[in-house]
Amino acid sequence: MTKTISLTLKIWRQNGPGEKGRLETYPADDISTDMSFLEMLDVINEKLTLSGQNPIAFDHDCREGICGMCGAVVNGRAHGPEKGTTLCQLHMRHFKDGDTIVIEPWRARTFPVIKDLVVDRGAFDTIIQAGGFISVNTGGTPDANAIPVAHQAAEKAMDAAACIGCGACVAACPNASAMLFLGAKISHLGLLPQGRPEAARRALNMLQAMDHLGFGNCTNERECEAECPKEISIVNIARLNREFFKAAFFSDQT
Amino acid sequence: MNWLKQTIWSSIGKKLMMAVTGLAFCGFLAGHLAGNLTIYGGKSMFNSYAAHLHSLGPLITVVEWGLVFFAVVHIGTGLILFYLNFRSRPGRYAVNKWAGGRTIGSATMPYTGILVLAFVVMHLINFHFVDKGQTTIYQIVLKTFGNPLYVAIYVVAMIVVAVHVSHGFWSAFQTIGANHPKYMPLIMVLSIAFSLAVGFGFGLLPIFLWTVG
Amino acid sequence: MALDAKIPAGPLAEKWDRHRFELKMVNPANKRKYEVIVIGTGLAGGSAAASLAELGYNVKAFCIQDSPRRAHSIAAQGGINAAKNYPNDGDSIWRLFYDTVKGGDFRSREANVYRLAQVSNHIIDQCVAQGIPFAREYGGLLANRSFGGAQVSRTFYARGQTGQQLLLGAYSALSRQVAAGKVKLFVRRELLDVVIINGQARGIVVRDLISGALERYDAHAVVLCTGGYGNVFFLSTNAMTSNATAIYRAYKKGAFLANPCFTQIHPTCIPVHGTYQSKLTLMSESLRNDGRVWVPKKAGDKRAPGQIPESERDYFLEEKYPSFGNLVPRDVASRNAKEQCDQGKGVGETGLAVYLDFADAIKRDGKDVIENKYGNLFQMYEKITDENPYEAPMRIYPAVHYTMGGLWVDYNLMSTVDGLFVLGEANFSDHGANRLGASALMQGLADGYFVLPYTIGGYLAGAELPKISTDHPAFELSQQNVQSRISQLLSINGNRTVDDIQRHLGLIMWEYCGMSRNNEGLAKARVKVQQLREEFWKNARVPGSGTDFNQSLENAGRVADFLEFAELMIIDALARQESCGGHFNEAFQTEGHEARRDDKNFCHVAAWEYAGDGQDPRLHKEPLVFENVELSQRSYK
Repeated sequence: MTKTISLTLKIWRQNGPGEKGRLETYPADDISTDMSFLEMLDVINEKLTLSGQNPIAFDHDCREGICGMCGAVVNGRAHGPEKGTTLCQLHMRHFKDGDTIVIEPWRARTFPVIKDLVVDRGAFDTIIQAGGFISVNTGGTPDANAIPVAHQAAEKAMDAAACIGCGACVAACPNASAMLFLGAKISHLGLLPQGRPEAARRALNMLQAMDHLGFGNCTNERECEAECPKEISIVNIARLNREFFKAAFFSDQT
Repeated sequence: MNWLKQTIWSSIGKKLMMAVTGLAFCGFLAGHLAGNLTIYGGKSMFNSYAAHLHSLGPLITVVEWGLVFFAVVHIGTGLILFYLNFRSRPGRYAVNKWAGGRTIGSATMPYTGILVLAFVVMHLINFHFVDKGQTTIYQIVLKTFGNPLYVAIYVVAMIVVAVHVSHGFWSAFQTIGANHPKYMPLIMVLSIAFSLAVGFGFGLLPIFLWTVG
Repeated sequence: MALDAKIPAGPLAEKWDRHRFELKMVNPANKRKYEVIVIGTGLAGGSAAASLAELGYNVKAFCIQDSPRRAHSIAAQGGINAAKNYPNDGDSIWRLFYDTVKGGDFRSREANVYRLAQVSNHIIDQCVAQGIPFAREYGGLLANRSFGGAQVSRTFYARGQTGQQLLLGAYSALSRQVAAGKVKLFVRRELLDVVIINGQARGIVVRDLISGALERYDAHAVVLCTGGYGNVFFLSTNAMTSNATAIYRAYKKGAFLANPCFTQIHPTCIPVHGTYQSKLTLMSESLRNDGRVWVPKKAGDKRAPGQIPESERDYFLEEKYPSFGNLVPRDVASRNAKEQCDQGKGVGETGLAVYLDFADAIKRDGKDVIENKYGNLFQMYEKITDENPYEAPMRIYPAVHYTMGGLWVDYNLMSTVDGLFVLGEANFSDHGANRLGASALMQGLADGYFVLPYTIGGYLAGAELPKISTDHPAFELSQQNVQSRISQLLSINGNRTVDDIQRHLGLIMWEYCGMSRNNEGLAKARVKVQQLREEFWKNARVPGSGTDFNQSLENAGRVADFLEFAELMIIDALARQESCGGHFNEAFQTEGHEARRDDKNFCHVAAWEYAGDGQDPRLHKEPLVFENVELSQRSYK
């Protein structure tokens, strides 16, 4: 059942922000196909460490596909070739013996490289801070069952709320746009009755924040949807557009 | 009116301008195609269509200027978006692969757009800014497509337009927010159907005229 | 020093109300004069930071990841308990309290657990108002499901991503306060020391993980919400950065560590498969609602599961515990799975797994219903194992999941150091010797939203807090110590990677201080850990420098602390000569192989005080007094 493969890795190495980086080649021999992609990198790092070289920096944390910390572009695909999969959930059984794998960091003006495969995704936090919340303070909220929420609305909200903020949508978008990320949050909160009171404010403020940060513009290429590890649909981008038009043209919000 | 400026200059606002003007051009293409199909009805039918169009007088002028305005908006916004989108990723990937979302149409929008612009300029020189005093439009058309080079250019141009429209049509709906799992599949089918109609409808005409002439 | 838990007087149900009334208050205008540091932005830290900021305090929030949204609370799957009694099945605050005390094998504080049950309902209200997309019935009201250790359905859930959704709720509240300027957010920072001035926690020293710079921050109080120490076992369901460094450094600064040997082994995880495996993945306990646990009756039966007829299957949980069946508490389920495997009835390549079978549920409810409930979990299972759980039963095995032990705190959640508060999994908590499913989320949010915001006011209003700055000599000294430890790590330059040593430590702990323990093994483990620690400081290799982004260095610091912490766990396990909940000493078991408590001698919290390097820690006992529940042998039969 367990078999091993040998690969050639070409990995982006960059010492720090703003420095010049380059692809470097590393052999990866006897990789068990049961390993995850990150475990494969662990093995390479062990070897690099023992041979006196600097290990490859890469972000990772939960290693079960939910924290959104990991991510790299593998052979031109964000999080690798498997659909609906984060890099940590990608297993080496999806590669063939002798494959060459090119591993690059997320690339976008808004996601500067910190080191090697590690990027700064603080821009996502900035977008959320602009309005990705419902303004309720702790305490004083009504009974949880006081506001019925249609089953379908809750389900659709959950579909959107499944976003893990990994940045694959931006990495995969030919324009490095964050519309799927924003669309998911606007949809999650906008679909629920609790989120309606400040829907207009939220849409305007969050979009403005996103634009100021320097993300690209959506051109409906659908690469984000195809690469999203949580398979969030661009229906959410359409909903964001509607919410924005509603807010811009018909609300009292300026 | 600060809100309007803010709205239009936002990323979605710019997209909205692309979508609205793009959809208007789709409407124009549909009308233009319907008119052009009269060529298959022969010389008199086509000439009378042209005459009918001109009899609309000021209305046609308004439409013409409307189209010019839309074109300026569509092209201007498109170029701005093209620049911004290019700028949003300073470091390029060493390996680029499509994940299954992109199509030839979507991936080439700016380029097909520029080609279409070049074509439209040529097309207007050929048939619009031409002295129609001595001759009928049918004869001009016939004469132009007597030249195989023009036939080839027009056919290629129509393929380019079809490719542009194949993405532009459904994309406009998505941008204005009209995407629902219930009817989006239909819009996608319509998008393909429309681009085929444009491609074949316009593209076969020069060939037809070449063979007739 | 006698431990004073500061449990308010009066009847159980009135304690919290009364305490809130008696606590000193900080008036609204004065709140803005106080600075509070919150370390960690998971459910406890995120909710605490947001709630304190809403009240008017100035908060500095720190997280180790690149965003507060990534804290490991995000990985909690199944749900969150509350005594809402929406299903009308007889739930009540009292019942939730009782289930939790019993589930914890009577090693938790009555007053704390009762308060937890009381505020559980507010948590659900709060979360719904924040827009958490909990599962809904068609009528629009909230849906519930069952979890282990309870006979009512009181668990609220958002598919298999409840932790994620609750965390994003706390994160959104936190983000709102960041935008309002009330919270200053510091990401990619690791706490390396707590600064104590005049016996009060007044600041921290952190390392900026990007630049490597050491930074000092001062405040009027410090709140640790840094999670559990499960990674001492190397393989656990914890995230890779989950660590014990924060609580351990606080321990070295005088905070007592309580019950460190209480660790929870979760029964339903995907079994270990290879030497390079870096972590274990949990399959939510909620799966035990519909999945049936079984092994072949015959030891060594290597037939495929489908070929084993019904009559040759041993549904050991259902048979042994007819009233709770597959939904017995985690410690019980785990131990039984281990017992079956020890008898040679384990399945799969390694023989270290039991089946969790959904065939009956799929037959009964249809594949769609099951997919709707557990789709993402099934998908996750398939991704990792390459097997389709709709067709073949899942193979599961227990894995380290949660740590009930942690820093000792009083009823106000304050540690033995004044002004040092500890919330969530990082404190020794309300779960006693075993935590019930869907209770961790409840506790984290209870602490952060509804307990600390009151109790910290009581402290700040009553304490004398002289003005200080980060130039204070205590900060200087602290930073020097941190710096010299970093330099020391970088200068070892040995031949073994830190990962390798941590893996080794994990094996020792799993073998001797894991699901079942005995005195001999524990004594052996203590020596082994000491030896390994020595080897670490002689032979570890930590590459790179201290002045830039260096993940090897980060991890080395954590492992160094784990190597000390592990010994404390072992000492605690050795001191507790009884079995209870997750702490199972083979010498103390009933005839049915259940944990046998010794209430006469061990009905206490064991709180350990740091006594200096190379010295045995000092044990302090906080007796547990049960006035409202009767101590009994837990029975789930």
